[in-house]
Amino acid sequence: MSATINPLSNPKGEKKLCELCQKPAYLQCSKCRVAFYCDVVHQQADWNSIHERVCELLIPVRASTPFRSLQADRDHHRVQAQKRLEQLLELSHTEAKRQVLEGKYVEALPAGQLSLRCAMDLYGPDAVELVPAYLLLAEANVGSGSLTKAEGYLSQAEWTVMKTPGCSLTILHQLHRNLGHLYTALGNYESALLHFGNDVYYASEEFGLNTVETAGGYFLMAEVFSKQEKLDIANSLYSQVASTWHAHLSKLVECYNQIGNQRAQYFDEAQLAEVNHMLNVMLEAQEQDAKSHPALSHSLGQSLLLCHSLAMRWFLCNNHDKVLEFGRKAMEFSLQCEQKSLTESIHSLIQQAEKHYNAQQTHIIHH
Amino acid sequence: MASAVLPRQKTRFLPAIDQRAAPNNNKLLHKSRLKEKSELPDPDFPENEKSQTTTITEDDIARFQKPVHQNLCVSMLREGFHRSFEEFFSLLQRWKASRLVAGEDSALWQQRPLEEQPHKLETLKELLTRAESAERSNQYVEVYENYLALAKFFSEPDDRWLQHHFYKLSLLSARKVKMDSGKREAEANAHIGQLYLEQGDLELAQEHYEMFHHLAVGRSWQDESGCPLLSRACEGLWRVYTLQAQRHLQNKDYSPAIQILTKAYDMAKQAGDKKIEGEAAYRVALAYQSLGDHRTAKQFLNTFVEISTALEDTASVGRAYKAIAQSLESEGKLNETIQYLQKYAEISEEINQDQGLQDACMCLGSIQSSRGEYVSACEYFIRAYAIACDLGSVPLLQKAQVSLGITRAHSMLRTYSSLVANNEPQSLLTLIRWKETREEFHKPPCACVTHTYHTHTHKTSLSQW
Repeated sequence: MSATINPLSNPKGEKKLCELCQKPAYLQCSKCRVAFYCDVVHQQADWNSIHERVCELLIPVRASTPFRSLQADRDHHRVQAQKRLEQLLELSHTEAKRQVLEGKYVEALPAGQLSLRCAMDLYGPDAVELVPAYLLLAEANVGSGSLTKAEGYLSQAEWTVMKTPGCSLTILHQLHRNLGHLYTALGNYESALLHFGNDVYYASEEFGLNTVETAGGYFLMAEVFSKQEKLDIANSLYSQVASTWHAHLSKLVECYNQIGNQRAQYFDEAQLAEVNHMLNVMLEAQEQDAKSHPALSHSLGQSLLLCHSLAMRWFLCNNHDKVLEFGRKAMEFSLQCEQKSLTESIHSLIQQAEKHYNAQQTHIIHH
Repeated sequence: MASAVLPRQKTRFLPAIDQRAAPNNNKLLHKSRLKEKSELPDPDFPENEKSQTTTITEDDIARFQKPVHQNLCVSMLREGFHRSFEEFFSLLQRWKASRLVAGEDSALWQQRPLEEQPHKLETLKELLTRAESAERSNQYVEVYENYLALAKFFSEPDDRWLQHHFYKLSLLSARKVKMDSGKREAEANAHIGQLYLEQGDLELAQEHYEMFHHLAVGRSWQDESGCPLLSRACEGLWRVYTLQAQRHLQNKDYSPAIQILTKAYDMAKQAGDKKIEGEAAYRVALAYQSLGDHRTAKQFLNTFVEISTALEDTASVGRAYKAIAQSLESEGKLNETIQYLQKYAEISEEINQDQGLQDACMCLGSIQSSRGEYVSACEYFIRAYAIACDLGSVPLLQKAQVSLGITRAHSMLRTYSSLVANNEPQSLLTLIRWKETREEFHKPPCACVTHTYHTHTHKTSLSQW
């Protein structure tokens, strides 16, 4: 799979650099012959992350093109190359994104680098189209703990954004969220709050006030506040997030019930993981809070909302065990705090889950 | 790849000559956010002081780069005031939305946007955050006061909607105040009621004023100027009821109007303000008059007269006399009517109210002419005409002219018809002579003729205007 090359035997003026670290390369991918590595570790990492999928796609992009005598021919070829690059960019970007979402930060890095490289080839070294790639790389680097690199990428992104007036709000929102992540990881909570504040602001401008995008920013702020021991602020933010998500999920469940059991996708993977994480963290915080200040009707209401949201979330991805678990919990809370408005919807949720559950059980027995 | 992004480590060909300077220099080049953080803030040299003297903070950059409202939003969020942020942001959005709906031709489009008025935004932020922190510690009195301050701050006509919004919020927070037995709630209701009254939304104004009244009954609360709240509530309700009744009267729904006006009268009595009470009584009386119940109307009018005399409000007494006269006239008691009208005229003359005097003269004239007393009727009309000329009011003047003409005609009609009926040559001659000269039959008063002529010229000159 790998063939050795000697840097000294490279043709004059041509440098073969490692895909990952840009050092002189000693190895070559024997399949495509256009990817070079400094050692086996880097080749393995690249293979695992992205190279396996793009190995063949890289050949036409990287291989030197033969001379074509006709202008039309050359134009055609250029367009083709452009298209291939775009395809490559999209593929590597989605791959990196998926890995980041799954928490495989180190694995995401080579893919992210490839996507950045493609973007640079396509759009030039300081185009605003590079920002998503920078952000992704920064996120992966924050996740894998190499904060200096993350900072570098983010600075680059920030600079690009600053140079581009009228940059889209979504990009600004993501940039500030990543900066916030970075500063949280660094322990610089004040700056983290500043960036999360900007994040929430842009998200509200773009998506509206009580949307899940904004709620994400609120949640991150709440985490910072709870790290700063400002629990009252954190709790107030948590309740805001919980009610936003609860409203959102209720709407989705209603939609689901109206349309019926078509296997429509209500979430992408990212949101699913995100909401699960958030709700669980909040529930935990709530439980701790309940231990220190027992029997506050307010906190009961909050737990009720959270459990109900979790039940709905699992319902939407057809995990009926979990629906039953959280639905029953929610039922308990709703009985305790005598809030009757939600009882009905919880009840119907449990009933539907039980129906599905029983159907599954009989199915298994039949087999 | 990363080289495009990260500073590449410089490798020197020769070893550094100055061994001490080299790493130092390197460190400086590498000065990053990581570095800043890793230097723990030591107590002798606090971090913020350092940033003040040496570097520009991110806040300073933001102040130049970003609009004021964004900076305010972000600073609110940073301090954890997310509800204030929400309020602030949604208000700005609301303004924008309503502006878009109103379109480019509207007055709203010409207004200065809130974003361009930093002092307003700053006050808004300040008070909102104060309210939120008070709310977090359950001090609703403070919350209420902050919202009230906001409402009072936005007193310009352009900011009416903001004022309205914050009065509503202050009502909500006042409801949560437990310790003051509802005084603040009452006040908040009063504010909102007044606002609705100004906007002309009577039903909602009534609702809030009734709540205010309900809360204030039996309490000895006073506002800042020492005016008891209860009487303010009554006054407000009186105003609302009166306006509502006026609407009914315009639609000629007299009985509901009377019901409402009676309520208004009760409120006016409770308010303890005699002037209002008199006014209310007068309105009830007028409503009864339009319904045709003159007895009750007169009762109320007498109350009005009493109150007005006690207050030495002569103009009101005059109005009362006129109204009484109208009632009497409808009942057919002409002698008494004339008495009251004369009183009305006297009073109007006393206080130099020409309008009233003219009115009285017209009424007297028409009554006299309806009784067949043409001579005195003419006198009254002439007087009315003279006053109208002084006032320079064309409609009054024309009315007086027409009435005078009709009365003159009536006064001649009897002689004329008897002459026609007589069928004697003598009378025929008289008729012919009259036709030729158009002068009066018996004793031709020159003054009258010149007068008619005069009015004629007057009329033409008026129509030329």
